[in-house]
Amino acid sequence: MLFAQTGVLELVDGSCKLQCGETTVMCSVTGPIEPKARQELPAQLALEIVVRPCRGVPSTREKLLEDQVRGVVTPVLARYLYPRQLAQLCFQILESGEPEELYSSKELSACINAAFLALVDAGIGIQASFASVCLSILEDGQRLLVNPSQAELIESRSTHVLALQLAAGAKKVENLLLLESYGDFDEQTLLQVLQTGEEACVKTALELRKVIEQKLQKDFVWR
Amino acid sequence: MSTMILPGDEFHLESRENVLLGPGAYCDPRNQKVQPVTAGFEVVTETKKNVSVHVEHNSKRYIPAVGDLVVGLITGSFSDSYRVSLSNFSTPVTLSYMAFPNASKKNRPSLKVGDLVYARVCKADKELEAEVECVDSSTGKDAGFGLLEGGTIAEVSLAFCRELTFNGDYPLLSLLAKNAQFEVAIGINGKVWFKCDDIRHTMACYRSITECEHRTQSEHKSIISKHFKTLLNSVP
Amino acid sequence: MAKEIEISTSEAKFLIEALRQGLRSDSRKFEETRDVGIKFGKDYGDVTVTMGKTKVHCRISCNIAQPYEDRPFEGLFFISTETSPMAGPQFENGNNTGEDEVLCSRIIEKAVRRSGALDVEGLCIVAGSKCWAVRADVHFLNCDGGFIDVSCIAVMCGLLHFRKPDVTISGEQVTIHPVEEREPVPLGVLHVPICVTFSFFNPEDAEENIKGESNNEICLLDATLKEELLRDGTLTVTLNKNREVVQVSKAGGLPMDALTLMDCCHKAFKITETLTDQINEELKLDAESRNKYAALLSSENARVS
Repeated sequence: MLFAQTGVLELVDGSCKLQCGETTVMCSVTGPIEPKARQELPAQLALEIVVRPCRGVPSTREKLLEDQVRGVVTPVLARYLYPRQLAQLCFQILESGEPEELYSSKELSACINAAFLALVDAGIGIQASFASVCLSILEDGQRLLVNPSQAELIESRSTHVLALQLAAGAKKVENLLLLESYGDFDEQTLLQVLQTGEEACVKTALELRKVIEQKLQKDFVWR
Repeated sequence: MSTMILPGDEFHLESRENVLLGPGAYCDPRNQKVQPVTAGFEVVTETKKNVSVHVEHNSKRYIPAVGDLVVGLITGSFSDSYRVSLSNFSTPVTLSYMAFPNASKKNRPSLKVGDLVYARVCKADKELEAEVECVDSSTGKDAGFGLLEGGTIAEVSLAFCRELTFNGDYPLLSLLAKNAQFEVAIGINGKVWFKCDDIRHTMACYRSITECEHRTQSEHKSIISKHFKTLLNSVP
Repeated sequence: MAKEIEISTSEAKFLIEALRQGLRSDSRKFEETRDVGIKFGKDYGDVTVTMGKTKVHCRISCNIAQPYEDRPFEGLFFISTETSPMAGPQFENGNNTGEDEVLCSRIIEKAVRRSGALDVEGLCIVAGSKCWAVRADVHFLNCDGGFIDVSCIAVMCGLLHFRKPDVTISGEQVTIHPVEEREPVPLGVLHVPICVTFSFFNPEDAEENIKGESNNEICLLDATLKEELLRDGTLTVTLNKNREVVQVSKAGGLPMDALTLMDCCHKAFKITETLTDQINEELKLDAESRNKYAALLSSENARVS
């Protein structure tokens, strides 16, 4: 389901290419570096987040994605370790895997997971692990799908993106970082989404851990 | 050594007292919890007085820490100090004119923009600009720092650099030494400076170091001899 | 461009001195290009091209638009080459006013669009009111020199690989057939321009306006990032397999004489030939992998006469 590789780019400090179903994103992280004067924050790490679409020019849709990713990453970063510094997070969508005019859920979830791997690859301090999944509820309101395919997404009644902060070997959920919902749903469904989403997030986080394990092996190959 | 640890996991510490935090370990000021902030291998060293803990990880961007020996590039000069870059795009550090052996108001060092220096980090507060020095500040004497003339630089990852510096048994440099005579200065900021008598040997060292970083130790010997053979047997 | 990559005098001297002795840091010969890798994605018009460590992704897309009033029989074609900090922190997001960026996008624009590589008349659906607008989005992922050459290959591979939905026209009624319903149609590509970039070094440091015996200029093919940072002059030649020179671009730098230029063009042609063959080969392989059952389902039965 999830394929990822870290250290795919040379000139940035951390990078990863992540494929989740039909969606593929590339993420790069550079930092901590010297910020421009207008970016600098006196006590903490400033973030520059760039999301670039697969086709066409960046629009408000990408701005929203940037903001959502920022909301997830900011609370987990150990930002006070790097005052007056800057980290650049850059996302390039390689394959969208969803109708871009209508949805951005799968891209968002893939970007969050990619951000985690790239930040770890860059060695920028983060206080906890995090993972994200995309869920959708089919038209009948009964079936709940984790990481739906493009066809399932279009047919769904509502879609949700969930990102969780995980601790203790990615087994304990510490915090809810993001819950974006689109479509028609009620409280009961949302609670169900949270429950199923939690299991799925833990599962995703364990897969991300495997990727990091491979990364460490590659990093210390000369040992 | 080989327990993998990720941000959000817990260190395997028996007591919470007298813990020294190394790179990759962070104490959250809100709940005083010691936790890893980078992914890598957990290293816990216990001494009689205290326990030190750090995460051994590999990265590319150097963050200055006091006592590190670094190779820097002079990028500018001011009335009383040089601006030195330790890695591209990072915040530059300063090298005061007074941080040289036998320095005085009249005796100015003669480094130029573009020169490489071997220096030691002497101040590294994260809120302030870091400082480096080219003198042993405890004695005020020359300690082998200063201008690195000629030669070239191979940029390698930080963990590889640390291995080259601190592990005297690591065979790469001695293998190189069997093939060539060279001067070397390893900056912990990921820059290995070296200089041989002629370009061909320097080039062979450059190619060997950059290739060996991505290969297992058992392959190093054959990589080195391959590069030296191709470079020295071809007619100039 | 934001901050530049800084390079020390020692490294620069070493690199130039090594070149004088005929050595490049990646063990290549002067006139040796790096291997080009072409990988197509799942969708039509999705291609990643690598050359050494340089990596570029190109995505072709299309939609229906209105043609320009003064050119009612032509479709639209855009190439967007925007850089982002992904290719390296020296690139600033959304700021493509740097000299290198502008030069890169202009050369690609000239090589592909202005040379008529894409048959824009074939994009017309209803003259004066409806046409296809084809877009090529070039994404720079990793920069190790040779962005122009790689981008050009990526755009051309994308255009050759892309399929647009089929349309039927009955009077004013235009029907677009979804990909599932009817096999999409390829674009009309008239020729395949290939850019080849040469870099010049002047190791003697004695600049002469007239080429004399004393300046032993060095000419490199397909420079890496470090070589690009230190070069004294550059030349980009764009050619196609039909031996047509599409453009020659030399923006300043070391002066060169006509004979060297001719010589470079001949060298570039050899590269153009091999690259065009490679592109066609990769396209064929991709088409075969997409259409495993073609041979089985073919209506051409093996008839025994």
